[in-house]
Amino acid sequence: MTVEVTDALAAQVREALRLVIDPELGDNIVDLGLVYYVSVGEGGVAHIVMTTTTRGCPATAYLKDGARDSAWSVPGIEFVEVGLTYEPPWTPEMMTPDARSRLGIADKGRW
Amino acid sequence: MIGVSLSRWTMSFFAAALIALLLALGLMAAGYGYPSAPVEAAPTLIVVHLVAIGWLSLLMCGALLQFVPVLVNRPLFSDSLAMPALLCLIGGFGALLLGFLWLDGQIEAVLPYFAVASLLLGLGFGLVVWNLAGTLMACRPLPLPARFVAVGLASVVLTAMLGMVFALVRGGIVDDPRLLDLAAQGIPLHAIAGLGGWLTFCAMGVSYRLFAMFMLAPELERRGTRAALHLGACALVIAVPGGIVAIWTGRSLDAVLIASAIAGLGALSLYGRDMLHLYRVRKRRAIELNTRMAVLAFASLGLAVLVAIVLAAFGVLQRHIAVVVFLAAFGWLSGLGLAKLYKIVPFMTWLECYGPVLGKKATPRVQDLVVEKRAEKWFLLYFISVWSGAGALLYGYPPAFRVAAAAMFVAVAGIGWQLLRARRLADVETGGRFPEGVRQPSLLHSFVQRT
Repeated sequence: MTVEVTDALAAQVREALRLVIDPELGDNIVDLGLVYYVSVGEGGVAHIVMTTTTRGCPATAYLKDGARDSAWSVPGIEFVEVGLTYEPPWTPEMMTPDARSRLGIADKGRW
Repeated sequence: MIGVSLSRWTMSFFAAALIALLLALGLMAAGYGYPSAPVEAAPTLIVVHLVAIGWLSLLMCGALLQFVPVLVNRPLFSDSLAMPALLCLIGGFGALLLGFLWLDGQIEAVLPYFAVASLLLGLGFGLVVWNLAGTLMACRPLPLPARFVAVGLASVVLTAMLGMVFALVRGGIVDDPRLLDLAAQGIPLHAIAGLGGWLTFCAMGVSYRLFAMFMLAPELERRGTRAALHLGACALVIAVPGGIVAIWTGRSLDAVLIASAIAGLGALSLYGRDMLHLYRVRKRRAIELNTRMAVLAFASLGLAVLVAIVLAAFGVLQRHIAVVVFLAAFGWLSGLGLAKLYKIVPFMTWLECYGPVLGKKATPRVQDLVVEKRAEKWFLLYFISVWSGAGALLYGYPPAFRVAAAAMFVAVAGIGWQLLRARRLADVETGGRFPEGVRQPSLLHSFVQRT
């Protein structure tokens, strides 16, 4: 696989991850800034590093499995590895401006 | 499944709790118990325990089984203890009510009701505490919100032990003079340990975490929060063990209760300041109905404290203590409980139904399971009725109190109906309600599907 192909696949995986929503905030995990890293390596192996809005979120396993399943739906992806991290912890500043606006999140002030 | 903390029987706890609340409000509206009967009369005891054990304690147990794992980021110690605990609590609670009816001369003593109640309630609360304490013990040092819950669990043990003593004395099963003294004078200690320790401390602990989560505010671990914990714990130690010592040594209980009240007031002030801080620094400007209604519950707590201070200043607190207890039980604890149910039931239902198909199908949001505009009027009716009922109690006008209780009944029935609709996914748009792999959830049991 060339770099161009893996980059294109990574972009498709990122797009597919928009199907996964955070149930509490009701927006997709990409725009919420919960997906920290997406890459696709040799053999169509996707690596995703993600977080949740808070530690101990009861939806954690569903979000992780949902990310795996949506990435796997991309043609050319043969295997998906999803890692969960809380470093750095998620803050609302990580959301896209559009998502912040949709959810009525204040722009002012630091976390 | 690793990371999933969906408590299987929490919905059963909630259903039993709501039925007990409706029953209590129905009795109050019918003029059963205080203020139509004396405070110490059996009908009043039935209504009080319907609210304290049937409604608030079952609600709190169900909520803690779901949220203690969230507080400490670990799975529950045991998934299999919740159902036996619920059965013991319902059985013991039923026996307690029968015991009060027997005391009132309404029924014959077919069974030693109070002994059965002591055994089953002790076992039921014991199983809940064992399960939750086991979960907490596995992750020391505890985060601050979980420490509040730990104090709450210690308090429910004390509350249950005092309750068992009272039940055994009233049932004529024990006649030790010290226990008789405790049963005669220890009612305020039982109420403080239950309402102040068990229910308020657990509500404080859970609200520190949930409010930060729901309003997108930074979690608090500041000096004032720790001071609230320590002052509150001091208030409980002074009131309960201190009060027992005072009773057994023949000293004044009033001095102990005043010292405890001062410490408790300090703790509640710091807690109120923290909640106000979370509200002010929240990132989510448009907050959901459950949080808006929780603000009214906090206002009720503030009102209860204010009324207590004013009554104490005029030297009539003891005469009107029912007003303060009513505001604390129905405005603060029940108001907060109903508000949070409006979040927890849809959230757990969403997890159960749509969690397993996340990433495979488009899913609705948790907010799509409810229609806030429809529920809002019932919540407003509830809080207005509670405040009116408190006024009727204060001015000694029982007919107005009964009208307020009837309005509370209607409001709770309205909220309960909205919860039922959320559980049945009735408000989710038809097209997205049942994507492939999603089925109607059971009303009383949460089914954890493997993905």
